Amino acid sequence: MATSTDTKTNIPDYEYLDVNTNIFHIDAFRSEWLNRLQPSDFSFQEEDQETSDAHFAAEMGISAETMDELKSACSLDSLRCHPEDQPPDPEVVPPDPTLKTLVQRKKKQDHKATLKSSKNRHDLYADELERLTFGTRPEAVTDMIPEGEIILTMNIYYPATFEKFSHVRPHLTLLMTGSHTLAELRDAICCVSDLQVCGEFSNTPDMAPDFISKDHFKSSFFYFEGVFYNDMRYPECQDISITTIEWARDRNFPPYTQAKMEDTRFVDLKVKVGFPYLYCHQGDCEHLVIITDIRLTHKNDCLDKKLYPLLTHKHRVVTTKCAVCHIYIGRWLTTNDQFAPSNPCTFCEKCFRMLHYDTEGEKLGEFQAFPYVDRGAFN
Amino acid sequence: MTTASRRRGEMEPYRAAVTSDCEKLLSRFHETDSVRFQVFSKIWREMNFSQIFYGTVNHQKRAFSRLILDSAYSFFLPPFSFQIRVGGLYLLYSLHQSQTAAPPEQIRLALKDWEDVKKFEKDAMDAQHLDAIYILRQLMLKKAFHFTAMPTHLAFKKLRKKEVPALCEKFIERACRPQEFINNDLLEELSNIHELYGNLKSSVSETSKESSVNLIRQDLIPRLRRTVVDFHNWQHRKGDSEEEEGSGEGASSQQDCSRRAGLIASIKSKAYGEAPEARRSRRHRQVEVDITSSVAGTWKSPAYIRRKIASLRVRTNESLHVSDDMHKGVASASKITHLTSLGFAAEDTPNRLNGGKDRIRVPS
Repeated sequence: MATSTDTKTNIPDYEYLDVNTNIFHIDAFRSEWLNRLQPSDFSFQEEDQETSDAHFAAEMGISAETMDELKSACSLDSLRCHPEDQPPDPEVVPPDPTLKTLVQRKKKQDHKATLKSSKNRHDLYADELERLTFGTRPEAVTDMIPEGEIILTMNIYYPATFEKFSHVRPHLTLLMTGSHTLAELRDAICCVSDLQVCGEFSNTPDMAPDFISKDHFKSSFFYFEGVFYNDMRYPECQDISITTIEWARDRNFPPYTQAKMEDTRFVDLKVKVGFPYLYCHQGDCEHLVIITDIRLTHKNDCLDKKLYPLLTHKHRVVTTKCAVCHIYIGRWLTTNDQFAPSNPCTFCEKCFRMLHYDTEGEKLGEFQAFPYVDRGAFN
Repeated sequence: MTTASRRRGEMEPYRAAVTSDCEKLLSRFHETDSVRFQVFSKIWREMNFSQIFYGTVNHQKRAFSRLILDSAYSFFLPPFSFQIRVGGLYLLYSLHQSQTAAPPEQIRLALKDWEDVKKFEKDAMDAQHLDAIYILRQLMLKKAFHFTAMPTHLAFKKLRKKEVPALCEKFIERACRPQEFINNDLLEELSNIHELYGNLKSSVSETSKESSVNLIRQDLIPRLRRTVVDFHNWQHRKGDSEEEEGSGEGASSQQDCSRRAGLIASIKSKAYGEAPEARRSRRHRQVEVDITSSVAGTWKSPAYIRRKIASLRVRTNESLHVSDDMHKGVASASKITHLTSLGFAAEDTPNRLNGGKDRIRVPS
């Protein structure tokens, strides 16, 4: 059900409640905010309390005594729920809770204590990504993000494959600034399909593959609201969106346009927040891209331009281990292998060599071997 | 899922409890009929509300802060009454300062809500509620706001059954749209047109002067006035029976009261005239009134409530028309049809569950 949308101006509003918004231009949205705010509202400087109080008293036309009374009435001390010399422990639920939230929390904690939970080291650290970059300032002033800049939060979802990801669509969350180009976003997306090596190497296992797919197939595009943004930075890049555009033209679709990824900054885009868009690379590896949030910068954000695009979350994938030692991550995949317990089967480098090649490096038995890049390669 | 959305998902079960706690606090504040921060902080201390953050560990702190700030944010915006919005502001301030998350979560202020915030500030200024304005300014000073596009992160989560949380009825601003719509200007315009029309008609038709003019209601405008006044009086009576009226603390309710009083005064002053004297400047005017200009504000459609779609069985039964021959066939059929049917009789609707019991035929 659509609520009222403001198509004339660029004030975002829900197109579908809690799902996504209507289209708006990001730079226009930014100007709308900047027009409404005072520079002090979004500056990174801390304002002085005394000066501000003096201004307030002058503006309201109140005396100093009234001001002091006001300040003490609104002070944070009045919110303190415990005697000053007995600070409670905020890590535990207080006894005899009256608030429903606390009652529920206690119940959950008691229940959790009865369960056996595995300590997952990755989960502990996964949340640290955000904290690391909190409030960092760059050394050089030129690297500082200016006040009034836009920060976008983007979720990149991984392509759906049948075996593992039917329930979970792992993603990557990146923070970008408005003045970054789409090409920079593209470089920040790490997908295992970029690292795949094509070719069968059972006869020549020592030949280090001298190319990976990322170097070989450089074309990619983004699709936002009817425009395909192609990557044209390198001479090998082709326009892979043209196939879709021509197909659509033959079938009475609304016309699509094209633009260059490296020339488009985020502030130039017209997008919907919360709406899925597409990133396609390697010809057929497609990722959903959703912009979940757009806001102005805040003094607590990471203000170092060099650190952007900033990774705030990366899904951790369980890696496939070697079928022999179960310790190392698999680097080779073999098929039709008489030595292997399953078809296909992964081996780590050492076990692969030991099983399939003799001491001179001669191939033993019949099999096909492919270099394997595990999906958890970016963990 | 991202860490953030997974954390938010972990916190979802707490949303109902959090909203209920906030509503409890605000309803106690509402009962005091005051907008003073001291009153609010007294209630806060009595309820030990700071403890709402206790017991969260590690990463849960940020997620919980996010949840409670988002829930409290809704109380700061329309359609709630001015006093509740003041309570919502105090609640946001107190929660923001008492949260245990470090780095602290900020309050997300969406662009579409900015006008409402400004209007709120203006109302508070007009009524000289110094503590409300001071606290709003303090929040801006402490950079407690994130200026965002939307109040929450959106990730295209289309839920099957959207539970629309019902807004607490007591807190919502009393409807004053009838009064706003049928205001003095509108009534004046209407009576002008009415008079002009009557005059035109009677001047054009020479014969039966009254018959065509009688097609329109002569007393439309006085009736409109009476209806609006009655509605207003009914509202007053209903309001008086529930709460104490007019302690003067709610500025916007005061404004509404004065607006309504002004309207009533003007209505009463014109109550004894058939049609008000049209202003000289208006008399020769073209009848080109744009009524929509006097309608106040935009109408926001009510929150989306998903219609319950009838089950497949009901829909099938409604759309399935069994012809007479088939009916006979079905009625005289075997055990299987009796076991599978709900009890068909020629004239009964298929929905009746008890039909089968009455009419089971023993298969021969």
